[in-house]
Amino acid sequence: MQVGVAVGTTNSTVKHSSLLGWKLLVVQFYAADGRTPDGEPVIAVDSLGAGMGQKLILSSDGKGTRALLQSETTPVRWSVIGIQD
Amino acid sequence: MFVAKVTGSLVATQKVGSMVGHKLLVVEPFRVDSQDRSRLVSTGRTFVAVDTVGAGEGEYVLITQGSSARLTPETKNLPIDTVIVGLIDTIHVDHNCVFRRENAQH
Amino acid sequence: MRIGEVIGTVTLNRAHQSLDAASYRLAIPLTLDDLLGKTKPAGEALVVYDELGAGIGSRIAISEGSEAAQPFHPELKPIDAYNAAILDSIRMEPPHGDRS
Repeated sequence: MQVGVAVGTTNSTVKHSSLLGWKLLVVQFYAADGRTPDGEPVIAVDSLGAGMGQKLILSSDGKGTRALLQSETTPVRWSVIGIQD
Repeated sequence: MFVAKVTGSLVATQKVGSMVGHKLLVVEPFRVDSQDRSRLVSTGRTFVAVDTVGAGEGEYVLITQGSSARLTPETKNLPIDTVIVGLIDTIHVDHNCVFRRENAQH
Repeated sequence: MRIGEVIGTVTLNRAHQSLDAASYRLAIPLTLDDLLGKTKPAGEALVVYDELGAGIGSRIAISEGSEAAQPFHPELKPIDAYNAAILDSIRMEPPHGDRS
């Protein structure tokens, strides 16, 4: 798991069917200094209602994401599994 | 996936049993030049790839890397991470043709 | 999934039999600064398998690694980048570090 910051939201009409009805967040991971972006932002599915600027716990477990989306064929890897207090 | 040029072939007599009979090629990934988007430039890296399409030296190929390299009937039981899955015909960037197979020098 | 900007198209002369009739786009993964409009996309483009019909300039969600081939499960396709969505809009809020 990694902690990332919600920096945006996005939506899509033409998409893989497993994404229907899911909120898509743009999340940036940061280096240990907390300021330098670590790689490009990722898109994650969110079922917890995370807000902009919040620190989120993300999991890259594709199997868990497939269970969350109830789809064996979803191409999604990242899902929000917690919001840091 | 990424685009690469086949720069050579590689033969190994001593290898793990599952690799017997699989053609290995040396490939050099190319990228779109970030200064001049109308041409491709070498990345300067090289990889060894298993060929599934009959590629030859000098040809530009499409490469798949990582665990997906094993997602073919021919490669599913091989200890590999890089596979050639196609021969490039054309590449267009911003509507301009930056590569055409028939014009490429082999 | 990363966000990519479509800059071009790749066609194949011959492909692995499992990839017949596929369509491929070239897309540059966007950095935070690219998305905030501070920089122009300049990263290394990757080739993305596209079933949705993304055009030049489209921003797409690129699924990578083993998840890229998951839409074809249980069929095997040697794909490591897949267009999962054509994005209609992206609303960015500059992160904390940028406000100070």
